[in-house]
Amino acid sequence: MAHSEKTRLFVAWFVLVTITLIYLWMDHAADASAVLVASTAVTVAAIVLALVKARIILREFMDVRHAPQLLRRLSDLLVVVMAVALLGTYVVGRALA
Amino acid sequence: MTTTEHASEAARPEEGNRVPGEPDMWFFVFFESLLFTSYFCVYLYARTQNERAFLRSQSHLLLWLGIVDTIVLLTSSWVMARCVQHARAGRHELARRFAIVTAGLGVVFLALKMVEWVRLIHSGNTLTSSDFMQYYFFLTGIHAIHLLIGFVVVGVIIYQLSDARRRSPRTIETCSTYWHTVDLFWVVIFAMLYIVR
Repeated sequence: MAHSEKTRLFVAWFVLVTITLIYLWMDHAADASAVLVASTAVTVAAIVLALVKARIILREFMDVRHAPQLLRRLSDLLVVVMAVALLGTYVVGRALA
Repeated sequence: MTTTEHASEAARPEEGNRVPGEPDMWFFVFFESLLFTSYFCVYLYARTQNERAFLRSQSHLLLWLGIVDTIVLLTSSWVMARCVQHARAGRHELARRFAIVTAGLGVVFLALKMVEWVRLIHSGNTLTSSDFMQYYFFLTGIHAIHLLIGFVVVGVIIYQLSDARRRSPRTIETCSTYWHTVDLFWVVIFAMLYIVR
């Protein structure tokens, strides 16, 4: 059991690092030259991946998956609120620009 | 099964029956997360109103340095989670060593951040040089303040684990929750400042 918990934490860390490295690939794909260009796809993907990482940190590192249902639901709600707020602000900002 | 494994299994939290650390710390986590989210919203809105200027200033950041910084902090969080596992299993000396490594990785993160700040300032990118740099220095600065508080928090863990009379599993979990929160904020700050286009 202790071994599986240890492995689970390592897998969580590995996934978090892999997502971080995906950003590197996204950056190269988005900017063909050295000049940065605006991209809705990259912005939305960056926000979504960051929030996926946030949820993994909450569930695995902060041990929310062993917590009472209320805390589990509140932490999921927090991630959803962050997603709506960030993506909503971006969409509204673009529309008003 | 060894004695340590028995202790580990006994100390392992059961699904859905306990809050990790003090509930008050979780109020702090939710409050701070919403506060940081409001900062990110203001930044994103300002960014959409002047994308070209933000992209021009953003190009001065070194992505690879941000990636290394992120991996260092994620690793510190993983080591901290292992520290809590060891503490729960009664392996206090091992847990103390993991807490020291966590603090060490925090120092590496902060040192890399300072390298980037100095590099940017030397190239003329300061708090007042552009809107993007204002947000960059504000967000990374306020995160660094949280990290400095994190060193005190890890110090509490090391202090507690050093002496059997002072050990409190709940306090250790509370302190680790704080450290992970600092990590959680950074993964979003990193996406906002380095990746968003």
